Amino acid sequence: MTEGQAGERQDAMQVVMIGLGEEKFALDAGLVREIIDPVPVTKVAGARAFVPSVINVRGNVIPLADLRIRFGMPQPENSADTRIVVIELQLDGEPVLVGVTADKVYEVTEISQTDVQQTPRVGMHWKPEFIRFIAKWREEFVIVPNMERILN
Amino acid sequence: MSAIDPTEVFRQEASELFEVLEGALLDLGQRPDDRELVDSAFRALHTIKGSGAMFGFDKVASFTHEFETAFDRVRKGEIKPTQELISVALAAKDYIRALIEDPQSTDDIIGEGILDDLKRFVFPDQPAAPVAEIAEAPPLAPAESKQAGWHLYLEFESHILRNGSNPLDLLEDLCKLGPCFVVPVTDGIPFLDEMEPEDCYLKWDVKLHAACDKDAIDDVFMFVSDEMKLTLSPLEHVETPAPLPLFQLLDEEPAPVAGMTAPVVQVAAAPVAAQPVAKAEPKAESKPEPKPEGKRDDRGIATVRVQAERLDELMDRVGELVIAQARLTQLASSGSDLSIKMIAEEIERLASSLRDTTMGARMVPIGSLFGRFRRLIHDLSRDLSKPVDFVTTGEDTELDKTMIECLADPLVHLIRNAIDHGIEDTATRSANGKTEQGRIELAAVHSGAQVLVTVKDNGGGLNTARIRAKAEEQGLIAAGAVLTDHEIHQFLFHPGFSTAQTISALSGRGVGMDVVKRTIENMRGTIDLSTRPGQGTTVTLRLPLTLAIIEGLLIRVGEGRYIIPLSAVEECIELTAEDERSRGRNFLNVRGNLVPFLRLREIMTASGTPDRHQKTIIISTGETHVGLVADQIIGNHQTVIKSLSKLHSDVTIFSGATILGDGTAALILDVAQLVMLAQTKVEKQHISEAA
Repeated sequence: MTEGQAGERQDAMQVVMIGLGEEKFALDAGLVREIIDPVPVTKVAGARAFVPSVINVRGNVIPLADLRIRFGMPQPENSADTRIVVIELQLDGEPVLVGVTADKVYEVTEISQTDVQQTPRVGMHWKPEFIRFIAKWREEFVIVPNMERILN
Repeated sequence: MSAIDPTEVFRQEASELFEVLEGALLDLGQRPDDRELVDSAFRALHTIKGSGAMFGFDKVASFTHEFETAFDRVRKGEIKPTQELISVALAAKDYIRALIEDPQSTDDIIGEGILDDLKRFVFPDQPAAPVAEIAEAPPLAPAESKQAGWHLYLEFESHILRNGSNPLDLLEDLCKLGPCFVVPVTDGIPFLDEMEPEDCYLKWDVKLHAACDKDAIDDVFMFVSDEMKLTLSPLEHVETPAPLPLFQLLDEEPAPVAGMTAPVVQVAAAPVAAQPVAKAEPKAESKPEPKPEGKRDDRGIATVRVQAERLDELMDRVGELVIAQARLTQLASSGSDLSIKMIAEEIERLASSLRDTTMGARMVPIGSLFGRFRRLIHDLSRDLSKPVDFVTTGEDTELDKTMIECLADPLVHLIRNAIDHGIEDTATRSANGKTEQGRIELAAVHSGAQVLVTVKDNGGGLNTARIRAKAEEQGLIAAGAVLTDHEIHQFLFHPGFSTAQTISALSGRGVGMDVVKRTIENMRGTIDLSTRPGQGTTVTLRLPLTLAIIEGLLIRVGEGRYIIPLSAVEECIELTAEDERSRGRNFLNVRGNLVPFLRLREIMTASGTPDRHQKTIIISTGETHVGLVADQIIGNHQTVIKSLSKLHSDVTIFSGATILGDGTAALILDVAQLVMLAQTKVEKQHISEAA
């Protein structure tokens, strides 16, 4: 679905820019349902490390994913900037709501397809399948993650 | 909701009618003299025919018509409903169902065959086919249908207008058959102060000058035939040369005098006109008259069809309300504002009654399900030639609708097993001094927050030795292992396990009991087997009342709070220092029984130091008891169940989640999984001890 959306608009793509550790990630704005302040989390014993807990969002119990674990980053305590970005994904053809912890949410912006860089083969310590592509935004490289892959 | 397919509505309605029909037919097999049953079967048939015709299922209508005609002789008491007749009638019912549900796959020849059979039973004294056509209508009718017309006397029940029927529309329809002379009969009209404005007091006397069929007239009044008296007699000769329809008279302004006087004159004549009608009644009484007795079985309960998903949605909203209310209560109880506390209590009361009502709306009596099995048993006992007496009790027991649907397949399995494996053949039975007829009881009963559904047969019971041999053969147990009978019987639930020596069409393939068990456990229920050699087997299903909300026990383990379904909780005891010391063994001594226990702190990897006084909650599935050690027991909690998302589908020890009063999520423990976990732990211990 996300591929299709990106393909429809050749030139630009609406994204929500979030910060994880030192890196900036651009989440396809079409996936984002809402951005909320941190809420108390409930640990799920025995769950996979990158979805360690569940949260209550408007009466729905949804999993809270930590991308930092998937990208091997340290997980600092919540700060004043920490937010939860609720996204809706298609997993096995079913819509699933997932919360994603972000150390900071910057803004909703557009990245243009011309700025898109091919994922370099070398110099990456992350699994390439987690990354859709790398784009340039204000003289910085930002990562557009492949959320379906990361969460499956 | 916008576009409901009317044929879909008909299909639904028809499927309910089929249940009624089937039930009545099967009952009739046992109580052939019960007029009620004949009438109720006849009514169902009649409605199927009527609505079938309305929705364009012409084949259904014409077949049902033939069926109805034949059955009419039973209704009139001219022939007895024998077992053979019932079997044919059931086949006919199946054929109609097929015509409605999958018209393509049916074949007219099958239908004709069934009708021929039916006629053979119903008109034994007459040769088959064409005679039925004549017998269907009173013998006089065909001859008379050629004559001048009909004299009708219409008397509607007074409440007819409230049902939305309009007699005038019916009269208008009647006028389409041919020129009518309609005279209202006003003698039933009371004085003004006694008059109910919504009641219909008028009766009509109609002369229809048309050479139409009696059926055509019946068709006009098809939908109100239960609520009216229609007296029909052929017109002797043309009385009025130029009959003017009443509507025309009323519409015509220029002839007010004629319009006013004509009815008045006729009113005076009405009683006279009624005379011959009364005489003609017995022979020409319109055929499909369920008559007022039809009212008895709708018991005055008004029902509304609601889509199941709307109920689900409502349940979700109520669930959220219950959660919000719990938060309010918590907030109010921590403050000191009395008026807020009062409001919170008020809302608590409202929310809980709303919850009960909503849950009640989803509840349906289990009888609708039981009814389906009578046919199954009827057919099975015929095919296997094992006469079986089928007894159901507790049909009124109510269960969540979704659960009833889920229960159908497991019960089919259990009942098949009971007949095929449980009940012995007649020779064996009489050799063992039992009655030749086997007996299968299907019962449902409320037990606290659970419903117990039992399938009980009085057959030979489980062959424990054979199950054991099979389990050893399949390598499930070591030869010579010490097991209780109960433990051995559990192998029946093992996938691919079957002791049947021959595979029949019904059972023996070893799929079934494990599916049954899984289905029941998916509904958070449990299944139990008990058997007495030579006396029979009882399978007990314990089911929660609803899938959406459960009573839970809220406990704390470290920082986390968890819910244990209260239905699984046997008791709560304190973990004594003595139990605490015996770390290696992990067994509790509960009144002399050794109960394995699990430390939830270990399972949940809780941080921090454990509370000084650890509590043990004894849970059970069936016969197995397991203790769960927690830091604190907080109390009862109305638990609205939310399922866990796909991302957590690999976590098995939780069956779902709920939202607590303070807005945080809490996980619901899956009792069956924990018990299994405890058992594997015990086994591992055995192995390590043995090593």
